[in-house]
This record gives sequence, structure tokens and C-alpha cells, in this order.
Amino acid sequence: MTAVAAPAPTGMADLEVRGLVRVGLIAGAVLLLIVGVGMFEIFNGRKMIDPYLSAGYAAVIWIPLVFGYRVSVRPVLEGVESTPPGIHNIIAGMITGAIAGAMLGLLLLFASVVDIRSIFINISPSLIDLLSYGGSVVSGAAIIIVGSAALGAVGGAFHLISERAKMVLLTVVATVIGLNFLELVIGDILRAAGLRAVDRMIYAPSRGVTLLAAVLICAAVVALRLALKGRSNVMGARYEALPEDRRRRWMLIAGVVAIGLGTFLPTVFGLFLNEILSNVGLFILLGLGLNIVIGYAGLLDLGYVAFFAVGAYTTALATSSRSPAIAPELAFFEALPWVLLMALIAGLVIGTPVIRMRGDYLAIVTLGFGEIIRIAFNSDWLAGVFGGAQGILRIAPLEDGVATSGIRVDFGYVAAAIGLVVLIVGTLRMRDQQRIDRGEVGPLPNGNHNTRTNSLMIGIGALAVVLGVIFPTFSTWTVVGIDPPDMFRIILVFVAIAAFVSWRLRDSRVGRAWMAVREDEQIAQSMGINIVTTKLLAFVMGAMLASVGGALFAVKLGSIFPHSFEIIQSIIILVVVIVGGMGSIRGVAIGAVVLIGVLGGPTQPGLLREFGEFKLLIYGVILVWMMLKRPEGLWPEARRAQELHVDELAQDAWLRAKATAEVEEDGS
Amino acid sequence: MTALLETIGLAKRFGGLNALSGVDFHVNEGEIVSVIGPNGAGKTTFFNVISGMFAPDKGETLFKGQNIAGLSPDQITKIGVSRTFQNVRLFPNMTVLENVMVAQHCRTKKSVISTLFRTPGYLREEAEIEERAKEILSFFGTRLHGYRWDQPAMVLSYANRRRLEIARAMATQPEVLLLDEPTAGMNPRETLELTELIGKLRDEKGFTIVVIEHDMRVVRDVSDRVVVLDHGVKLAEGSYDEISTNDMVIEAYLGRPATEGDAS
Repeated sequence: MTAVAAPAPTGMADLEVRGLVRVGLIAGAVLLLIVGVGMFEIFNGRKMIDPYLSAGYAAVIWIPLVFGYRVSVRPVLEGVESTPPGIHNIIAGMITGAIAGAMLGLLLLFASVVDIRSIFINISPSLIDLLSYGGSVVSGAAIIIVGSAALGAVGGAFHLISERAKMVLLTVVATVIGLNFLELVIGDILRAAGLRAVDRMIYAPSRGVTLLAAVLICAAVVALRLALKGRSNVMGARYEALPEDRRRRWMLIAGVVAIGLGTFLPTVFGLFLNEILSNVGLFILLGLGLNIVIGYAGLLDLGYVAFFAVGAYTTALATSSRSPAIAPELAFFEALPWVLLMALIAGLVIGTPVIRMRGDYLAIVTLGFGEIIRIAFNSDWLAGVFGGAQGILRIAPLEDGVATSGIRVDFGYVAAAIGLVVLIVGTLRMRDQQRIDRGEVGPLPNGNHNTRTNSLMIGIGALAVVLGVIFPTFSTWTVVGIDPPDMFRIILVFVAIAAFVSWRLRDSRVGRAWMAVREDEQIAQSMGINIVTTKLLAFVMGAMLASVGGALFAVKLGSIFPHSFEIIQSIIILVVVIVGGMGSIRGVAIGAVVLIGVLGGPTQPGLLREFGEFKLLIYGVILVWMMLKRPEGLWPEARRAQELHVDELAQDAWLRAKATAEVEEDGS
Repeated sequence: MTALLETIGLAKRFGGLNALSGVDFHVNEGEIVSVIGPNGAGKTTFFNVISGMFAPDKGETLFKGQNIAGLSPDQITKIGVSRTFQNVRLFPNMTVLENVMVAQHCRTKKSVISTLFRTPGYLREEAEIEERAKEILSFFGTRLHGYRWDQPAMVLSYANRRRLEIARAMATQPEVLLLDEPTAGMNPRETLELTELIGKLRDEKGFTIVVIEHDMRVVRDVSDRVVVLDHGVKLAEGSYDEISTNDMVIEAYLGRPATEGDAS
């Protein structure tokens, strides 16, 4: 029965029957789930390759293919000759596919006899018709079983082809999926560029890629991948090998390029992609804030949306002319300090009572506070201030009098603010250099301050402050809330600031204290860390970032309502952080792109608008899969990854220590 | 000479158990005092109460004549009393260097704003923290040096974890070091090495040391004075030679000799 040890298995006897049945049943269960929740039927109208492949079929045919392949994957054992791939792979795949198909076939037969719609509302007569392929139910079931078995066999045959062929096939599949994901985006961009004809060539009128375009684009992508094979690794290795200062220079160049692209690209992105990217940006901002609370300091805050709401409502009260109680009608940037102040107060008010709790208790209590805040905003009791369920309209109206919300950026003030920071840092550096010169303190580890840079910083800083204050409006940029490209740009600016703050704090004295509190609170306290202030600081920093997110959200929509701050928002932000990689800045970005950008947020559409009602189902699947297979997240911090793979790390360390010891012995 | 650290009538009760009942204890500056006693004698509770992890039910802890009982652990650490733990408790996912750096928290002060803009003061402080951490680690020879700096604490060997704990306690820049069974689980060679190290901690670094220890050879070699606890009560106090021949101490450890009753 052991296929691994057998030298050349040829038939059924060598296949592990139990494993086959098990995988087959799992595949069948997945198949039933996808058909049963209605994905097959609903997606069936959406073509992927027009008119040959619909999204409905794509949602089911991967099951026999993937499970047919997986069923005969064997672990590679060192010292044991692995079984060469052969006909047994195909047979195993076929059996798996047949079992899965049989389960669906049985369901079809059963559903045609007994009406089970009262429980499974999606198993409708039209679905049964669809699965019967125009014939009788029995012939439909037969087709399903045979088709599924054939697909399973194809999946099994995947073992027999070369690595390069596998790569080509996977690239083709990924390209077709990608083209469909990006259909609206590419359409937008092409139309904006006046290339409507190209758009019509790629995409069929009834949606989906045309066959010709699919073939051509896949061929191009495959050719590109084959040409670039291995290049990226070489580039990465070369970058890693660079000395520190050269690396910093490259990072700087990359930063400048990124700023350039951030300014230019939204113009060509089209409305739909900009809208999606704005949402992604907002969730990155919120995710970075939560990341400080949970990833750095280890405080499981489930009521995080409260701070988002505080930011949005403060902005609304401060800027809207329709705000019920107080309406100072400030501009966005005048309101921002108040937003930050309110977030600070909210952070302290909510934080102080909960901060003494740990783990689960903290999570439950923050959950409660999150709801309390939402219900307070929603209540009739406070409707006189917050507008109750009617919310607050006309947030941050632009001066032109039109009813659109917006942010006016006066570059004079921006220059003055940046100038002030440069001026202060320059002055501090100058003073420090004087102290070095007088011999009061030693030089910094990376040498002395460059005197010319110091003078330059002070000079330019002072100039910027003076000119900025004299000509505050020499250049203005008006961001209209409903204009996605500009909204995306300004969100990007705040995301950059949030990322900068997260990055600087992580490797600092404060960041280390957070880390220590996360590791072992009691010991951290014993080592002289005031855990109350340390944890409150994390809470407040997170609250402030969330409130900025809320302020931008309020301007983007132009009006806010309590139902925008449901508990699901907190959960989704948490999921973004977990899926991306807790404690990792780039991880939060990736998490937001994958979950919010592709799938869509709780109320925001993603690239795959069709997923709509299945969004939470897919969130759940992703989350379960991540926790089982990659608990550290998609793109984690090295430290986080090692935490969850202690055994491997310990082994590496042991091997290295052994190697070091051997070298020392050789030397002596 | 007044005592640097002194407890007067320190008492702590857990439910019906008197973990400590009225312990009077003192340690003078520059002294090494061992606290010994059978299992469950209240030695670790004694440390926990001094270091602020538990507040005492009764009694005072005086540090330089000032009562510190009831303060939180971080305040007591800041005042100048630091400790290690019987069951090694490092920050396992932080590197060796970070473990020592983070312990300097209460001796440094740069906060968020200077961190964000990397002011010269901040850079200087960070450099000092790192330099001091490396200097402290170099106290242990090559054990925690070089490539070990960047290893997470969890991959260290048991003995190295104990050393790192001592390094971490040193980094809080205390005047009194409380070492809770520093040689537990070490092999004879490592124990010997640590015995010398405890002496060096006093002679070179100037720490006043209170050490809980089970290994009598270590107690003999390091202690200026030995205090014996049993059932939360101070049983005896004196030099090692006095203690090792004290009948009450022997009885506490070994039980009443069967011959005693016959002889009397």
C-alpha cells in the first residue's frame, strides 16, 4: 500500500485508497459548497474568455484540477528515492475527480426528486437545468462525473510535465484571471487614452476577454516571463550585497520615483481604479494605526473603529455648515488639529480604563467601547449634536459654494510647516556640533554633523517659513472629495506620513518598549518600563492615525452616518493586519491591496465586483487558510516569521554555532 | 553604617498561607548576602515583595532610608533595585542586544517627537544605549558577544539565558542586584564560572548583591553573610561557617535527626 517505497507503481494496487477517497470527498465538499452557495449559477453569466469560459465554470473546474494534482503530491524524503511520476498520477487524479463529480451528481439527482430549496435556497430549478446540460438529470449527472474525472486526470497529469511547462501553464491561468480582474480598470485607462478600439479588441461587449486577445496577451506574458526568468532574484541579491550608504541612496531614488508616479499615475488610472486605490489607501492608514496597537504593543483592540468614527465626526462637526449643534465651519486643515486632539482625548478616555486588562479581556472591553461610540453617535439622545441616524451632511464644503466636499491645500503653509521642522532640526544639529567642538560630548557614531548641511538646513528652513507665511496661497491645490484621482493623491500623502511614523517608532526606544510589553508585560514592568504610559502611548498613536483616516473618509463621502462605523469595520481592519503580517508595514499594505483592492471592503467595491455577496465567505476562507498555512501573514517582518517557526530557527542557530566552533578549532 | 536596603517586619499572606511573616533583613553597600532556605521557604516571595511585584501586607522596605514598599516594579527598578528571575524570563523574540537595550528604558528619556525627527539628542542617546548594551554584554567574555548580539534570545543555551538575564538586570543601572537562583540548571563548570562572576559584579561593577541560592558551594564562595528563611520566618543569620553548623538550619533542611531524641 505504500506508494512511496514501491519502485515503479503501475496500477491501482499501489495507490493509497484511503487517501484517494479522503481527498476526493474533500474536493466534492468544496464543489458542493461552491455550487450550493450559488456561485456557479450567479457567475455563469459572467464570461471570462468570451464565449468559451464563464466565471461560473472557472469557479468549479479548478476543484478537480487542483485536487487531482494534490492527491498524488508526496513529500520529498531525503534518502528515499521518490516515485517517478507516471500513469498512477493520472489515475489518482481521475479517481479523485470522479468522486467529487459523483457527489455533485448525487446532489443533482437528489434535488430533482426531493425539493430541498426550503433549506438550500440556491439549489434552484434553473441550477438543476444548468447542470443537466439540456438533457435529463441522469445524463447531466453522468456528464458531471465523466467531466470531473477527466479534469482530475488532467490535474494528475500535471505531475508529468516539465517545470518550465508548469510555469507556462500557471502564467497563462494567472494572466487570464488578471485580465478579468482588471477589466474595468484597463477599460477605463484605454478609453481615457482614446484607445477605445483596443479596448474593444481585448474585451468582448458582454464582458470577458476575447479569445484572440487572450491568446496574444498570454503569449506575450509567457515570453516576458521566460526572458526575465531568474533576473529578479539576481537583482535582489545584488541589492542586498550593496553597502549601507549605497542602499540608502537607492532607497532615496526609489522614493523620488514613487512620489513622481504617485503624482502622475492617478491621472491615467481612470475613475474606477482611483476609487479602489483610495479605499485601499484609507485601509492602509487604518491598518498602520491598528498595527501600532496590536502589532507593536500587542494590545488586541476590537473597537478600533471608534477612533475612525471620532475622526470622521470631529471633521464633520468642525467643517459642516449643517452640523446641528456647533458649526464653526473650519477648513479641512484647520479642523485637523482638532481631529488629532479629539483622537488623543478619546484614546486616553477609552484607553485608561482598559489598559490594565490583558489579552481577551482587553479585546472584549474595547469591543464594547467601539459599540458604545457608534450607538452614541446613532442615538436620539445626542441627535442634537451628532445628527442621529440622519448623520451630518455637507462636510468641508468648498468655498465656491457648490455642495461638494473638499480639501484646499495651500502650498505656502505646507512649505512653512516643512520649513519649520527643517529649521528646528538644523538648529539642534548646529547646537550639537558646537557642543562637540567644545569637547562637552563626543562625536556621533556616524561622525560629525556636516557644518554646511546645518547652515543650509537653517537657511532654507527659515526662508521657507518666511516665504510660506508671506505668500500662503502662491499655489493651491483643491481636492474635491468626489474626484477619485485627487482624493487618492492626498490619501497617499497621509499614508506616506503614517508609514514614516510607524517605521521611525518601530526601531526606537519607544518601539522597543512596546515590543517588550508585547513579549511579557510583567517582566517589562520589572525592567523599569512604565507599562501604563507605554500602552497608552500605543493606544493614542493608533487612535490618531485612525482619526486622520476618519477625517479623509468624511471628506471623501461628503456626509457621514453612524452605520458607516459598524463593528465589521474593526474586524476587517484587523483582518487586513493579520493577513498582511502583524507588525509589518509592508504587510499591512499588501493585506489592504489583496483584501480591499481585489475583494473589496465591507461597503467598498473591489476589482472583483462580482464577488459582492460572497466577499465575507472568501474572507473567511482566506483567514482560515492563512492561520493554518501561513500564520505570520503574507509579507511579514522577519522577526514575526521566526516567532512562529521557532524549531527551524533553533536548528539554524545550532548549525551556525557548530560551524563557528569548528572554524575556531581549525584556527587554534 | 546604615544599610543600603533594609526590610522591617515584611509580611505577605496568600490566603491562609503566610509566605512571609515579619522578615527583618538588611544588606549594606558593597555586600553580598545569600538568602537560603528549603523549597517553599518564601525566598522568591521575598524578592517579589522587595521588587514590587507584590505589595507587602505589612512591613517596610527601606532603600537608603526611604520606604519603597507598595511602589510599582518599574518605580522600584528606577530607584535602583533590579532583579533576575528563577524561571528565566527574557523577551524571547527580541535579540540579545535588544534585551539589554530595552532594560535601559528607565535611564533614558527621548520620546516620540525627537524619535520621529531623529534629532541629534535622540541619535546620541540611541548610540549610547547600544554602546552601553555592548559593554555590559562584554562583561560575559565572548559568551554573548559578536554574532550573538543579533540572535533572538530564544535560541540561546540555558546558561546563556541566565547570563543574559543578569546582563539585562545590570542594564537598568541598579545599586542592588537581586539574583534569584542564578546557577539553577547549570553544569559544574558553568556554576564555577558564575560564582566568580558574582564576585566580579561586586568588585568591578560595584553592585550590592542579594542572591538566592541552593548550591552550598556557591553560597560558601560568594557570601559575606547568609540569611536563612524557613516558612516565611528568618531562621538564622551569620557567616557561612556559623550557618553551616547551626542546628536549627540543619534541622530545617534535613529534619530532626533521629539520634537527637535518644541522646537527650
